[in-house]
Formats: sequence, structure tokens, C-alpha cells
Amino acid sequence: MAKVTLGGIEIEIDEDGFIQEPDKWNKEVAEDLAKAEKAYPMGEDHWKLVNYLRDYYLKYEIAPPVRMLVKQTGLDLKKIYELFPGGPAKGACKIAGLPKPTGCV
Amino acid sequence: MKRKMKIEDFGRPARQLVTLEPSDLLPLPPPYDEPRPLKQLSEEQRERYEASLDGFVGIGITKPASAKEEEEFVRKFLSGLKKLLSKENNWTFLQPLVHSLDYCVKCQLCNDSCPAYVASGKQEIYRPTFRPEILRRIINKYLKKESGILRKLTASDIDLNFTLLARLAELAYRCSLCRRCAQVCPLGIDNALISREIRKLFSQEMGIAVRELHEQGTVQQLKVGSSTGITPKALANIIAFMEDDIEEKMGRRIEIPVDKEGADMLLLHNAGEFLAWPENPEAFAILLDAAGISWTLSSEIAGYDAVNYGIWYDDVQAARVAIHHAEAARRLKVKKICVGECGHSHKAMLVIADRILTGDLNIPRESALPLLADLVCNGKIKLDPKRNDFPVTLHDPCNMVRLMGIVEPQRKIVRAICPQFREMEPHGVENYCCGGGSGFAIMQSMNFPDWRNNVSARMKMKQILEAFGDVPDPAQKKYVCAPCSNCKGLLRDLIEYHGAWEKSGIFYGGLVELIVNAMTDLKKPFIEWEWH
Ligand code: SF4
Ligand code: SF4
Repeated sequence: MAKVTLGGIEIEIDEDGFIQEPDKWNKEVAEDLAKAEKAYPMGEDHWKLVNYLRDYYLKYEIAPPVRMLVKQTGLDLKKIYELFPGGPAKGACKIAGLPKPTGCV
Repeated sequence: MKRKMKIEDFGRPARQLVTLEPSDLLPLPPPYDEPRPLKQLSEEQRERYEASLDGFVGIGITKPASAKEEEEFVRKFLSGLKKLLSKENNWTFLQPLVHSLDYCVKCQLCNDSCPAYVASGKQEIYRPTFRPEILRRIINKYLKKESGILRKLTASDIDLNFTLLARLAELAYRCSLCRRCAQVCPLGIDNALISREIRKLFSQEMGIAVRELHEQGTVQQLKVGSSTGITPKALANIIAFMEDDIEEKMGRRIEIPVDKEGADMLLLHNAGEFLAWPENPEAFAILLDAAGISWTLSSEIAGYDAVNYGIWYDDVQAARVAIHHAEAARRLKVKKICVGECGHSHKAMLVIADRILTGDLNIPRESALPLLADLVCNGKIKLDPKRNDFPVTLHDPCNMVRLMGIVEPQRKIVRAICPQFREMEPHGVENYCCGGGSGFAIMQSMNFPDWRNNVSARMKMKQILEAFGDVPDPAQKKYVCAPCSNCKGLLRDLIEYHGAWEKSGIFYGGLVELIVNAMTDLKKPFIEWEWH
């Protein structure tokens, strides 16, 4: 674990760059995370996905199934990889401040 | 560089004991034959974690801050080792452990059966007999003090220190517990069991375990319900999504039964399916509905997640999880538990749990595969094999075939519904592990995935490519059928790492998806290739 400065504030991240303090997440933090994930600058679709993930996470404490994400945002997998080269889990979820996916997923 | 490595060298100070060179690795057929650099740790990570075995980190043991801490580390290990060898503290596995430690005649017949050893270009440290020998020498030197003569004859210069033990712990996570070596051993020595007992010692006695298996694995599962983090509330949301999805594909709605008391069977899925492959539990629901079987899911803690990572590293956690599974079934008053497409859960529930569950917790438990074979082969569902007219090969999960002998049901199914089915070689009880066994598929931190994709999964990659060798055109879509969530996770990452979809049109998925894809009732194909 290490502390880094994201969006002007100090945040702890894990070995793979996922933030460990989800409460500190905000727009600026997301943008700084996006820079490292080659998803910067963030356009409307980036935010659509990130906000969707964020809302789902706040409600269910977990990231949604990728298929649900695709259906409910109308962005297909190809498009998601264009927006977030790291993919939905390692890219988009990281930027949305979600914890790293665990278990057999 | 590959160097001859002696057991005595294992504890010597070195920045890194061995270095894997991409050009030493088992060659893959073209266009996968270009050696690729292996991901290195950052200097900062090397500083923080013990990585002096092979430069990869599976566990991430932090280094002791003082000589006193190091002493304490060694002391704890030795006291744990004593417990491991005593009946009171290790009634579960003492007998096979002692048998395997005492009776190996070092004929080395098992070596070439090990996928990690062979794929690494025969790196000495990955040899199936290497880690057991270290343990044996530690026992001889430090625990068998009483038998002086014997000790002199067998003991060698192996000195316990932090580095040696931390390397040993890491080395226990370079064996995927596939038990291929145990199968060929003429004396029935189980070197996988020794790897697992080493992991257990570190976990139970020293609090050292892989985060993905422990904190985020069994601990999270027992706390929130699933190692994936799915809570009962999230489960309900995902099930509603699955019902909508089924309706779209079938043109009619099927209710997925949850907590239905008195149903005949409780179906247990690896919860990874709900998040990563919801089409798998969907396909189960469609088939069980079509066959008129009385079944239910559970929404109890651990009742909707078949995984039991405890069997990979910790007896106590394994027992806790198994009891949760059985309790969920008992509360629902079902007649039996049926385990879906999850290999290690087959081992946990159908084999290991026999030693844990007693009385009214000893509920009949069985594999879903024979049931599925019955549905397919006895005409209980209308199927049209022409719908599966693409090349299909079958990956055998180690726990199903080698451990349990479940070999034919899955074959009967694919032979009946996949006109272009071809076996990979070898298969059945002689299969190779996918490379993701024993937790490797879910160990996603630092550079461990690179080791997995290049070493433990390399043999599987070769087998898959060879099975499809006659149809190299990427435009021809191909399906690797793996009836196990853990193997699927491995295959997904492996296919992505090698670009095998783009280069060869190779896709992967479960078994029930193929069955439902062949159902004449369906309006459109069930398998959606765009999820590669
Ligand atoms: S484990 Fe069995 S096959 Fe391997 S060296 Fe020992 S006796 Fe021989
Ligand atoms: S269990 Fe499998 S991976 Fe482990 S040493 Fe034996 S053959 Fe190798």
C-alpha cells in the first residue's frame, strides 16, 4: 500500500492502483486516475459509465456484472475498451473508485 | 539463466534465486512463438515484499524489521511444523502427509508430468519433488533431534532463516495442486498435498496467506456472503437482471427460485458466475425449468457462493465454509445439494466435506454433470446439434476428472450436441491443469498474472492451439468448453494475454451454455461471441 496525491488530496492505493479510501473519491480524483489509465480527457461517455458504476456501487457495494453495465448504459464492450483501454474492471472500475474485483470473476 | 540448483542453495542470500528467461520457456506454435518479456516488479515493491525466489510475488510477505522479528518468524514456523506432524493438531491430513514425506524413493518419475516444471523449461525449483525435499530436510535437521544416527545420515546443511522460509511459502504457490504428479507416482506420493500443507502451516500458524484467498476470499465470503463481495441484496438485483435476460432470449419469463423451502435440490453456483458469466446460471435455470426439476438457489451467507478457497490453504476456513453451505441446505429442507460448474467446489463439497459434515448436516451432495448428461442423452430436452456447428474442445477441471473420476458425463454431452467436437491431448484423468488451479486464476496482484499466463497455463495454451490446429482461420469461431468458473477466469485472461481471439478466433465458455445454445425452443443463439 502506498499514499499518492490524486486530485490534490492524499489517498491510499493498493499495489495495482485501486484507491483504498472510496469516501475520498471525487471528480478530480477520477480524472487523475483516468490519466494513468489512458482514459483522459474524460468525455460524456466516460462519465456516463463512471457515474453508472459509482451509483451501482453505492447501492450494492459491488460492481455490476459487465453485461448489466452494457445493457443499462447502452455502451457495448468494444466501445468500453475504446473509452477505457484497461477494460471495464481494471480500467473503468478503478477510475470510478471501486475496490478491485475479487473472487472467481 | 537456468542454473543447477541444489537444495542447500535454497536459503542462501541472493537478490533472486532464479530468473526465468522467456526463451527458456516451452515453445508455443506460431503465431504465438515470439518470446515475450516477463513483467518485473518495481524496485519499491522488491523493497517491500519478499520476492527473492523467482522475482514474482503471489503472497507478498513483508520482510522482518529486526533480527528479533526474524527469530520469531523461524520459531513460529518450527512450532507450526511440529503441530502439522501431530495427530492432535492435524487429524485431517496427517496420514497422507507423513506417507508422502516418508516413502518417496526419489525416482523422479513424477517430474515430467508437472505442467509448471515442464513449461518453465524445467526450472529446478518447480520440480514436484523440490519443495517436499526442503520440508523433509527441515524436519530431519530440526525436529528429528532424538534419532541421532538417522539424522546424521540424512540431514544436510539446510539452515533455517527468514529468506528460506519466505521462499518456501512462495514456492508453495507455484504448484497449482493439480495432482498430475501424484497420479503417475508408483508409490502414491502426493506432492500437491505437501504444497497445500505448507500453505496451511503458513496460514494457520503464522497468519500468512494470499490476500485474494483469505481476506478477500473466505473471510469476505463468511462476512458478506460471497468472495466476490456480492451481498444478498446485490444477488437479488442480479437475479432480476438474469430473469429479464432469459425473457429476452426465450420469449418467455422463467422465475429463478430463491429460498424455496422444500425444493428437491439446492443448486450451488460459484458466485463468480453471477458477476462475470450470468449466462451460466441463466442456462441452468432454463434447463432445469425445461426438465421440470424442483430446485432452488439460496440467499443465505455463503449459500449462493459454492467456492471454498479454504481447501487451498487453511483447514479451519475450509470447515467453516463447508458448514455454512450445509446449513443453508438444511434450513431450506432440500433433499440434496447439487454443485454447478465449479471444479474445486466439487472437491470441497463432495470429497473433503465428508470429513467435516456429520449428523443432519450430512446432506446428500452431488455433481451437476451426471444430471445434465441425463437431460441431454435421454431426450428430456429438444436439442438440435446443428446449432453448435463450430469447432469445440473440452477442458477437464482437475478436481472433476483426476480427483473424482467424473470424465464421461461432459463427453457424452458434447459428443451429442457438438458435431465438430475434438479432444485435446491428453485429456480425461490425464488432463493438464488450466494453470489457474489452487487460487492462481484469482491471484491478480503485481506480476503474478504474468507468471501464470507464461508458466502454469502454458501447457494448456499449447493444448488448445493444437486441438484447433486444423482450423487456424480467426474467422472460424472456436469454443473451449470449461465446466468450471475458475478455469473460465483463467482462460479469459489467457486468451486475452495471447490475443487468441484476434489471432485464432478462440473463445471460451461453460457446458450448459452449449446445451442451451442447441435448444430448438430458442429464438436466437444463446452463445454471444461478442463477449470475448
Ligand atoms: S513422488 Fe513418487 S514418482 Fe516422484 S520421486 Fe517420489 S517416489 Fe518417485
Ligand atoms: S500438483 Fe501439479 S503443479 Fe503441483 S507439483 Fe504436482 S504436477 Fe506440478
